Amino acid sequence: MKPASFDYASPATVEAAIEALVASNGEGKVLAGGQSLLPLLNFRMTRPSVLVDLNGIEGLSYIEDRGDRIAIGALTRHRDLEHSPLVASRLPVMSAAMRHVAHLAIRNRGTIGGGLAHADPAAELPMLAAFYDARISVQGPNGHRVIAAQEFFVDALTNCLEPHEIVVEIEFPILDHDGWAFEEVARRFGDFALASIAVSVRRGPSRLEDARIAVMGVADTPLRLKAAEAELVALALDDEIPERFSEIVVAQVSPNDDLHASGEYRGHLLGELSKRALRTALAQAERAA
Amino acid sequence: MNSDHRASPSEVLRPKNVGAPIKRTEDPRLLAGSGEYTADRKPDRPLHLAFLRSGLPHARIVRIDTAAALEAPGVVAVFTAEDIAGDFKPVIPFSRMPNYYATPILPLASEKVRYVGEAVAAVVATSRYLAEDALELIEIDYEPLRPVARAEMAVADGAPLLHEEAGTNVLIAREFSKGDVAADLGVAAVRVRGRFEMTRKAPLAMEPRSYTAEYEKRRDALTLYTSSNIPGIVRDAISESLSLPGHRLRVVAPDVGGSFGSKGSLYPEELLICIAARKLRRSVKWTADRLEDVSSSSQAFAEIVDAEMGFDANGVATSLQADVIGDVGAFSIYPWTCGLEPVQVVSFLPGPYKIRSYRGAVRGVATCKPPTGPYRGVGRPISTFVAERLMDMGAKALGIDPLEIRRRNLVRAEEFPYRIASGIIWDKTGFIECLEAAAAAAGYEQLRKQQAEARRHGRLLGIGIASYAELTGIGSRIAVAPGMPINTGSETARITIDSTGAITAAFGVASHGQGLETTLAQIVADDLGARFEDVRVIQGDSDEVPMSTGTYASRSAVLGGGAAKHASKILREKIKRVASHLLEANADDLEVTEGKVAVLGTDRAVSFKQIAKAVYSDMKTLPIDAREELTATYTYDPINGTTAAATHIAMVEVDPATCFVKIHKFVVAEDCGRIINPMIVDGQVHGGVAQGIGAALFEELIYDEEGQLLTASLVDYVIPSAPEVPLMDVVHVESESAVAGGFRGMGEGGTIGAPAAIANAIADALSPFDADVSVLPMTPERIFRLMQNAKFKAKEKSND
Ligand SMILES: Cc1cc2nc3c(=O)[nH]c(=O)nc-3n(C[C@H](O)[C@H](O)[C@H](O)COP(=O)(O)OP(=O)(O)OC[C@H]3O[C@@H](n4cnc5c(N)ncnc54)[C@H](O)[C@@H]3O)c2cc1C
Repeated sequence: MKPASFDYASPATVEAAIEALVASNGEGKVLAGGQSLLPLLNFRMTRPSVLVDLNGIEGLSYIEDRGDRIAIGALTRHRDLEHSPLVASRLPVMSAAMRHVAHLAIRNRGTIGGGLAHADPAAELPMLAAFYDARISVQGPNGHRVIAAQEFFVDALTNCLEPHEIVVEIEFPILDHDGWAFEEVARRFGDFALASIAVSVRRGPSRLEDARIAVMGVADTPLRLKAAEAELVALALDDEIPERFSEIVVAQVSPNDDLHASGEYRGHLLGELSKRALRTALAQAERAA
Repeated sequence: MNSDHRASPSEVLRPKNVGAPIKRTEDPRLLAGSGEYTADRKPDRPLHLAFLRSGLPHARIVRIDTAAALEAPGVVAVFTAEDIAGDFKPVIPFSRMPNYYATPILPLASEKVRYVGEAVAAVVATSRYLAEDALELIEIDYEPLRPVARAEMAVADGAPLLHEEAGTNVLIAREFSKGDVAADLGVAAVRVRGRFEMTRKAPLAMEPRSYTAEYEKRRDALTLYTSSNIPGIVRDAISESLSLPGHRLRVVAPDVGGSFGSKGSLYPEELLICIAARKLRRSVKWTADRLEDVSSSSQAFAEIVDAEMGFDANGVATSLQADVIGDVGAFSIYPWTCGLEPVQVVSFLPGPYKIRSYRGAVRGVATCKPPTGPYRGVGRPISTFVAERLMDMGAKALGIDPLEIRRRNLVRAEEFPYRIASGIIWDKTGFIECLEAAAAAAGYEQLRKQQAEARRHGRLLGIGIASYAELTGIGSRIAVAPGMPINTGSETARITIDSTGAITAAFGVASHGQGLETTLAQIVADDLGARFEDVRVIQGDSDEVPMSTGTYASRSAVLGGGAAKHASKILREKIKRVASHLLEANADDLEVTEGKVAVLGTDRAVSFKQIAKAVYSDMKTLPIDAREELTATYTYDPINGTTAAATHIAMVEVDPATCFVKIHKFVVAEDCGRIINPMIVDGQVHGGVAQGIGAALFEELIYDEEGQLLTASLVDYVIPSAPEVPLMDVVHVESESAVAGGFRGMGEGGTIGAPAAIANAIADALSPFDADVSVLPMTPERIFRLMQNAKFKAKEKSND
């Protein structure tokens, strides 16, 4: 289990990194935290000609308040997000979700850019990007562009980046909500999710004024459930609402069977988590009112 | 939390060290990273091996082309079965068992491959990286054969044969019987039955298998450093296979990072690395990566048991029958044979119970998977799972409490020695004492109340009990594996005081996490009269004792400890004889303690150092014939062996929303005889239970219908981690055994009791659903299915 041989480049700027990728003719790969890439190298499931290490580039690791959104540099470690007071107050769902990401040692190394680029359908960061409708800034030989989260994730472990593009920053719009919840079930703490849901709401007098829902572990990409959001907002705020919400969410997905769980079981889990999540979010919103 | 119950107080010597919670001698070096494992060996300019392994489950090897690999950078040699054909004799896992076919152990696959992961070719290069690069250049033409992925497929008519010469895929078949089971079942008040399964499991030691063969040009000699727990067996087998006498083949197991049985057989790679080192006259290294370890080290369980138990109206189990099919994989293992695991299932099935009539039939069947082999508990995790499930099912049918039904069936103190229906004899052990101690420690009555209360609130709480007995410290009269020709019934200790007065105690046993360096030193210190810190224990080195087999089957405390006691006593007598000259006192008036010999009731004393000087250096003090070399060797054979027993009680809760199981309470009351070191006993129980939790809830090697391993990494093969292992209470019922020192073996028990206790607890928790807990591990997915089926059945009923 040793990687095939590769060259190593440690550029000091994003531009130099892109140059190195271009020079490799699409055979190079970016190295961030290495937590997903190195196992793939060791299994020889990927064999880049050159590893372009982003860790020597200054200024790619930050969490910045931009008023109605929070900007996060691509090289920001999971651990920084987990412990950031800014994230905790402005992006509470992210803050809650980060402790479910892998284990301490992995969170110390893993980066948000790598997590998004890796595009694991059961990983928290892609789900959070979908949930918050994040805008992903990438830089390539033809300059800079911004990609909406829902376009970024194409399939399991597949993103929409061109070969020589690098994720540089992710902007998360802040939700003007008063209740939220993040629920996840994994075999063990730190494992990839069997099913997970994030819910956030703004409560009005008799109905919800706004709702945001995303799920993961139940499809090839994380999903923001816009139709379910609309249905939830239309529901009356009565005792039945968690049950009805759960049915709405489950109707939106058709998870596949895999090694870790059948689609039916994942569906069941999602239904149960939906109830739990909505109850928590509503209770919180009530307290806030 | 621990508490002790001493069933019968020790009347042997007043021990200072035995019984004390002494910190392990091994830990400072192992925890600080100063241990030396096989991979840490640094021979002169070593070469590195990499194996090309079969990606097909079953195929004929038509052609292997290694020309390109041989040209690759850094490559020194490439070997296939053909290249080494003249360099060894196949190792045959012989057994006198009837209906057994012995498949030979070959270093590399010859003519055929029989499982995914089997080594087909080997590259030797100047680095592992270059060796792995060259693997990709080896071309193999295979002619695929139909795979045999399941045991039931292997015995079906027209199934492809793995070993054509055997004429069948059934490599071993046996039947045990006593009394008239059919008649007893016929008149039973209640009969319960089930089809039980424990799926395939990986032993998964933290250190993967690792070998370093160091070649000594000067003498054309080899030293094999191996992460083995049977270095003595490995030495003898390789010596025979390679025609290398023992003084040119030394086998050493240095620090070893766990085995759990996976390093307890001779491996093809061990043979090949020695062949390669000898052919190339160079030192060669290999360490399995995790993928290789999971897919080519011996695996566990893989058995399906159809079993039925009959009870009389009082809840006394009268009869038991079982048909076992074991999916043993593609080959037998050396020296234990493929009968080891499945045959023990039927020989231990009646367990600690007085069941009158019994029939147990077993078939071990070849499939396209790696061999199964010894795994902590061997056979007994599943025999206990089956017997304990049946016991609970009987209790339920009869309306008797599970604790009470065990009271009625366990062998009682006055009934030992007791021969159970399968023929095993239990010596006096605290079966009932363990049951009662576990119930008391768990607060059983209180737990039942708590359960009733929880159930009223719709919570699924369950309590599970499992009692078991095992044979440990087996002597020469009983074979560790059925019909095996090698002797596993004795162990040797050689204790020496050198000219500096230092004490070295050498053993053939091979600790791989058990802390034998500590416990054996405790015994020697007490029985020799030395200070604990003055005793150095050497073990796992074939140069140190003439013959040994190693550490397995919960034998080392009993056999190694017994040898230590006897050798210590012989040496103490020598010391006393010398001291009586020096002190001019009668030997009977001398007391040996703390490394000194003193005349009783006086302050006259000589130290071991002074005694050593008198014997070895100062040629004036002693008469010539009193200069006895200060060394003693003893080979101990406990002849039969001794029983160990325990009761485990688990309280679990099943979350109906997630179908996850949470263990709220886990209590073990165990009888391992006289305890040498309570901290080490607790550690062994904790570790064993953790593995039992893995077997009960998490771990499963999944092979698809084509024989491909789907759980080949630790992302997919799920083991319990710290949060999944609860705090547990261990209660020691210390009833001394009849062997030297009163010890019993206790390295495996945790893994034997835990799966059954947890399975019973889950069944109890799910009793509102009337669900069948018959397959382990009980993953959330399986619990989900059980609950869905129950809901479905309930619906059907109400529709009727
Ligand atoms: C045992 C284990 C458990 C885990 N559990 C979880 C979990 O529960 N939840 C979870 O979310 N994650 C989990 N992870 C994944 C972890 O979060 C990774 O750190 C993350 O997925 C990848 O981040 P990285 O910085 O390590 O990326 P790397 O491994 O360095 O790179 C991953 C991929 O992204 C590309 N890449 C990296 N950075 C960029 C960039 N800026 N622009 C373009 N491409 C880039 C690389 O070329 C590579 O293809 C787990 C990982 C392990 C090993």
